[in-house]
Amino acid sequence: MSSATLPATSRTTFLEEYLQPTLFIPELQSKRKAPAMEELVAQLAAAHRTRHPARVLEAVLRRESMGITGLGKGIAVPHARSTLVTERTVVFARSKKGIDYGATDGKPAQLLFLLVAPPLERDPVYLNLMAEIVGAVRLARTRQRLLDAPDFKTFRRILVEATRD
Amino acid sequence: MTEALTEPIDVLIQLQDLDCLIRDMRDPEMASQQERLGFALEDIQALERTRERLAGQVENQRLLQIYERMSRRFVRAIVPVEGRVCTGCRMSLPTSNPTRQADAATCDVCENCGRILYRR
Repeated sequence: MSSATLPATSRTTFLEEYLQPTLFIPELQSKRKAPAMEELVAQLAAAHRTRHPARVLEAVLRRESMGITGLGKGIAVPHARSTLVTERTVVFARSKKGIDYGATDGKPAQLLFLLVAPPLERDPVYLNLMAEIVGAVRLARTRQRLLDAPDFKTFRRILVEATRD
Repeated sequence: MTEALTEPIDVLIQLQDLDCLIRDMRDPEMASQQERLGFALEDIQALERTRERLAGQVENQRLLQIYERMSRRFVRAIVPVEGRVCTGCRMSLPTSNPTRQADAATCDVCENCGRILYRR
């Protein structure tokens, strides 16, 4: 088995330790992609994961310019590795109206997961987190439950359950 | 809190992040896994052009050479100092003369591993 596909145990998933209330945006203010990205990165700074949000944003947008991270079905997983983040972090955000993200299916992004990590020699967790996020939101029912979750605690529970499925 | 970085450090960090992205895109395992998840990757040449432009912004050629040399040895050629520890090699820096000057007015390097250092 490749080191980049290490399985999470049945009890814990990679994702659940990254689900923090300070990294949750229940409803994004922005309706357009660029300001939404700024909001996501600002949350990183607010949670003390970076002191240089402008530079981190640049890394995220540069990755975005290499291929859109909107996966369709209302999901976007912008990601980047940046020297200026202190640790691997995921910011979770929702937008009821959706953000015009340029996904191939044309659907606006309603669930956004910003994944950032410092550059490391070998970082299988980075890819595993990405895979867990994508896997967790594959079902329309889960996506709707995440959008309807009244608070972070419920959102977290739904996402963790979906990751274990 | 938002803080400003000094100019050569700022550009070198951007260069390092860009190098990391280029390396990820060239890594067959990383690229194929990302594509399998649905993330398309395209136009690596554009990244290389951006890299060239960024490298051209580093006025101090000696500093750039140190960066290029260290980035061939390490994924992170430029690392933060935490307390008195180089976060690249985890060695404590000497108290009296914590770092060796890479360039008199700008950056320091770790005496042990040679990485360029900056303070968060």
